[in-house]
Amino acid sequence: MLKSIRPKNSVIAAYLIIPVALYIFTVFAPLVAALFYSFFEWKGGPTKTFNGLTNYTQLFNDETFWTSFQHNLFLVAVCIVGQIGIAFIMVLLVNSKLTKWKGIHRTFGFFPSTISAVCIGYIWLMIYDYNKGLLNWILEAVGREDAKKVWLNEPGIIMLLVSIPLIWQYIGYYMVILLSAVSSISTEVLESAEIDGATGIQRARYIVLPLIKNTLLVCVTLCIAGNMKAFDNIYVMTKGGPGYSSMVMAMYGYKVSFEQSNLGYGSCISVGIFVLALAVIGGSQLLLNYFTTDKYDRDEQKRLKQIEKERKQAIRLRAKAAKGGSANV
Amino acid sequence: MSKEMVMTKVEDRSATGRVKKGILSVIINAVLMVFSLTCIFPLIWMLYSSLKEKRVFNADIVGLPKDPTLANYIKILSNKDYNLMQTMWNSLRTTVISVFLIVLIAFVVGYILARIDFALNKPLYVMFLMGMLIPIHSLMVPIYIIFSRTGLSNHWYTLLLPYVAFALPMSIFLVQGYVKGIPVELEEAAAIDGSTFSKTLFGIILPVCKPILVTVAIINVFSCWNEFSFALILLKDLALYTVPLGLKQFTGQFNSDYPKIMAAMLLTMSPIVVFYFAFSKQIIKGMVAGAVKG
Repeated sequence: MLKSIRPKNSVIAAYLIIPVALYIFTVFAPLVAALFYSFFEWKGGPTKTFNGLTNYTQLFNDETFWTSFQHNLFLVAVCIVGQIGIAFIMVLLVNSKLTKWKGIHRTFGFFPSTISAVCIGYIWLMIYDYNKGLLNWILEAVGREDAKKVWLNEPGIIMLLVSIPLIWQYIGYYMVILLSAVSSISTEVLESAEIDGATGIQRARYIVLPLIKNTLLVCVTLCIAGNMKAFDNIYVMTKGGPGYSSMVMAMYGYKVSFEQSNLGYGSCISVGIFVLALAVIGGSQLLLNYFTTDKYDRDEQKRLKQIEKERKQAIRLRAKAAKGGSANV
Repeated sequence: MSKEMVMTKVEDRSATGRVKKGILSVIINAVLMVFSLTCIFPLIWMLYSSLKEKRVFNADIVGLPKDPTLANYIKILSNKDYNLMQTMWNSLRTTVISVFLIVLIAFVVGYILARIDFALNKPLYVMFLMGMLIPIHSLMVPIYIIFSRTGLSNHWYTLLLPYVAFALPMSIFLVQGYVKGIPVELEEAAAIDGSTFSKTLFGIILPVCKPILVTVAIINVFSCWNEFSFALILLKDLALYTVPLGLKQFTGQFNSDYPKIMAAMLLTMSPIVVFYFAFSKQIIKGMVAGAVKG
């Protein structure tokens, strides 16, 4: 870029100061605040007392918190299989030559993901309701009245029940993302495979799947991040109940902080959520990277990195030499 | 003779093949129809059920209404205590202002980070990128503390701050990537013609960036309109409630009157549903672009 176009530093600063200040105030300041308050015993009143690591030892021994974490992981696992798995099958079906009304499937399938989680939660509350719920109505209609239940009172299956709306809401979302990836595969590849006699399943497994691998990984990452922050659905449907059987981390942090107004421990839980969510997201990234590349790819990447490093070093050395040269003159 | 045999064989195969293809086509289309139907059915169910009276609905939850009535809607709209129109206005205001600010800020910051070389460029870029990794629900409690201490909570503008701030990382990232693909010659020509930085930015770059800015706007319209958890902790006054909070309030009052709840949900969903079905193609395209690049 031409030097003359570059605006003065004061102009850049004027443009950046408000966004950066806003961003730091709403994202980084709270992080620091959470860390700070997590060392205090504070019930929201004017007095708070420093209590060192007591909150953290409590957190480590807090069974409810760790169960909530497990529930988050459960949601992640179920949703990866349910959302992305079903979405992939739907993609194969939609993409088939025999399919009609592709546009309609896409529009309707995507629709639930545009509705607020609160609405989705209430819709599914109505579906699970005992007297007026669709689920029990269906059971009655097929003559299985014995299977009728007050669904959301069953601790054993509650996590599955709250994950169904989540899965349902986002199948279409992932379907559409995957469709866009599949449509970028050249038709020639698929046609030549078909001529060579590959069946539909073989084509899906050996051609489509490897070619959309990167998009699949994006979907998995989105899915993990999305389910680590599960809150709205749970809040609307069960508030973590019955008991703690559908508690997730964000819901637990909310309950401790705002219903028991224990803001000190709530801050500590927030720090816990932060660390665990980052660890899960980061760890899954590493694992995914490891499992989706073979040894050859990894060596190749290493080699490229080495070359890049050497190149940068050479540039630096040359720049230094040039500077030294001009100084001598 | 042998030729004839081959011919009949081929015809045979194509005949059974056609039957097979037909069956397969029926299966595929049926599965997809069922899928689409389950996605849209709750909306349809709510649409016709909201036209029933409570008594009628309780007697038969799935049947079509025999004598449809708008009584539920009239009740909701005529009673000021229900607060739903107010929540819709609040959501609309918050969404429009937030999205406008997000687009504006993401455009300016994204452009500067993509094009201008200054000492803080890299650190700022990394800082904004890190925002994408931060699990925002870990910020709920501390944001509540900070906002209530500084007196920022419980105002009409309260939600603008988190909504804009949380949307920035992804939006800036999208704009930055897009600007990098624009040829620099554009700005150079403008500079040679004597255009100032700000003039070039808003007069020349902005129109070029329109596609990505539309994408950014689309993504955030939905997330702002639907956001629940931060509204829940930062707003206390009923008069400030956004739609999700209003619905929570409403269902708490009438938890057994399903048709009325359905009417309320449909009413508050209507802007976003109309928006979606009117522009579904662009919306889907924008959301996909955002998800994949982000």
